[in-house]
Amino acid sequence: MSGLTRLVPATTGDAVGTADLRRAVRRFLAEQRSAGNYRPSVDCWLSAWDEDFTRALAAQGWIGMTVPAEYGGHDRSFVERFVVTEELLAGGAPVAAHWIADRQIVPSLLKYGTTEQKQRYLPGITRGEIFFGIGMSEPDAGSDLASVRSTATRTDAGWLINGSKVWTSGAHRAHAFIALVRTSPVDPANRHAGLSQFLIHLDSPGVHVRPIISMSGSHHFNEVFLTDVLVPDTQVFGTIGEGWEQVTSELAFERSGPERFLSTFPLLTQLTAMDDVPDLGRLVGRIAGLHQMSAAVASALERREPADVAAAVVKVLGTSTEGDIAEAASLLSGDETACEAGWRELVNAGLDQRPGFTLRGGTNEVLRGVVARGLGLR
Amino acid sequence: MTTIPGVDSDLSTMMHAVFAAHAATGEDSAGTPNPAFWQSLSELGLSRLTGSAESGGSAAGWLEAAELLSAAAGAGVRIPLAEHDLLAGALLEAASLPVDDRLRTVAELDSSGVARAVPWASTAASIVTLWRSADTWLVADVDVSAFDEIIPGANLVGEPRDRVTVDTVSLRGTPIDDTLVKQYHLKGALTRAIQVSAALDRALMLSCEHATTRSQFGRPLARFQAVQNLIADMAAESALARAATEVALVAAVQNEWSTDDLGFRVAVARSCTGHATTTVVRNAHQVHGAIGTALEHDLHRFTRAALAWRGEFGSVGYWDRRLAAAAAAAGPGGLWPLIAG
Repeated sequence: MSGLTRLVPATTGDAVGTADLRRAVRRFLAEQRSAGNYRPSVDCWLSAWDEDFTRALAAQGWIGMTVPAEYGGHDRSFVERFVVTEELLAGGAPVAAHWIADRQIVPSLLKYGTTEQKQRYLPGITRGEIFFGIGMSEPDAGSDLASVRSTATRTDAGWLINGSKVWTSGAHRAHAFIALVRTSPVDPANRHAGLSQFLIHLDSPGVHVRPIISMSGSHHFNEVFLTDVLVPDTQVFGTIGEGWEQVTSELAFERSGPERFLSTFPLLTQLTAMDDVPDLGRLVGRIAGLHQMSAAVASALERREPADVAAAVVKVLGTSTEGDIAEAASLLSGDETACEAGWRELVNAGLDQRPGFTLRGGTNEVLRGVVARGLGLR
Repeated sequence: MTTIPGVDSDLSTMMHAVFAAHAATGEDSAGTPNPAFWQSLSELGLSRLTGSAESGGSAAGWLEAAELLSAAAGAGVRIPLAEHDLLAGALLEAASLPVDDRLRTVAELDSSGVARAVPWASTAASIVTLWRSADTWLVADVDVSAFDEIIPGANLVGEPRDRVTVDTVSLRGTPIDDTLVKQYHLKGALTRAIQVSAALDRALMLSCEHATTRSQFGRPLARFQAVQNLIADMAAESALARAATEVALVAAVQNEWSTDDLGFRVAVARSCTGHATTTVVRNAHQVHGAIGTALEHDLHRFTRAALAWRGEFGSVGYWDRRLAAAAAAAGPGGLWPLIAG
């Protein structure tokens, strides 16, 4: 009989020895809440930027956990980082300031960064003082990332970068971002060739950040214009011409994490206190299943196993489910409903943020294509 | 087929080969286990896989048993392995009652001595009977001749689901602890989650095969993005069903069915497998087109089985309500610890 390979690695329950870590994070969050330092919010990893909270978290050793001690880090495992981030998201904590740096930039720097780059950025990230953005999407390059048109041109002084990046969350507050740009013209036979990554400081001459205000009126996203931005050779990230490989090799970290199913968890916790929520059991069951599945992918990533398809599965299911939670909350909240203070704001935030869940980090349509490829259909 | 983690791969291969060979004979009738095939399973040590060696069982564990159930369900073979070994055999051993190789199932009587939809009762030689007397659960191994009535019924795929009646006054019961009855319920529920999960995986596999071999508009169905999306959603749902089921299975094995949160884990498995069935069945038939609805095609052996099994040992609604009740009892502050421990 022809066999289907397992799309998602086997689940074995929580990693041994992480229970105490979970309890410690919960205690910390409870203290922060009772001190009035934060209220749980929806989509906290994109929306809730709080540098004081970030520094308090860093003081606990919970940022840059996987960074080696020689770069100011904590030598913890990726699974331990997973546990901490899961707890923070379940608690709706304001983690947006350091989120991108901690999730994306740390593993990329560890894999591709020069010693000098690691020394320059990792200690500051780990102290909760250096914040990053991601420069991938462009006005004409959304899901089709290989069609980026920003360029870097070699000069005697370094590289001159021109173009624009869009949907860069936090660019108006972050210190730097890693931009994917073309270093050679498009080769129609190999569209993924000729792309490279650069570490760009957002206060560099020629960088202009324009806010993109979301439909709710909030400001998370930006367009970043790059006009003759001079970047020295020391800020080349990884290898010239291998940008595509570098970007895609780390996608499983971005796509399989708990932020792909816990963005609306503060709404689900409140639904447990309401009467006759029709979908409550199904939603709790799915979140519990996704928690296990996401943990299984984290363990696979720790073992450096390929997990692209598994990550796509987690993200397709998880982002739909976190949207369903916002929907369930909305369906129960009308003008006849007496609500606790803050509930309506939380529900509205869930509804406003929901379209982004299934778009960011790879649309669900693109991800279904990844799953289909994993099944040998394309 | 996907192997349960921790199961010896040679054993798994043997199990799948046995059921695939039997399925290929086409000699199956859902109403009664094929006697020759049952005999060969017994000779291979598979019919009482988890029974103690002293009673003639193979003394394997639940992981191996889950692989066996998956192999049977994934091959479309209808056979009372779960009932005979994991439920009836285990109850008798827990009550220190003798076990032999006679085909068995379990019936849980209501206060009037009736049990409905008892799996495989009409084909069994003996029925391990549970009933409550005053505040105590009693169990007895009852020869089918002692029953007043065994009225045949069947589930959607024709497996016997029979109504049995017996006068408990005539039975001599052995008292057993309430926790054993709770374990029996959870075990029954988990066997169906395992079976559903295997059936969904097979429906997914058949859909992949169909989409890559059937051409329309001059190209294989798999080339159409709309079809790819249907199958990707099936794959995602069945992966979630399998993950939730394996977590419950591993928790049960590690803690010998006694951990506090096992009820929650099994409920998650049943909810996820139940709702995964919705998507997988709908999309598998959509991908197959009309031929998938024909008796001559294999697909229904897996889609209809999943639909039947997801409603046994509790409907999907029942398990969803249990999850909702657990969440409400945990409350806003307790929901995450309920999920993540």
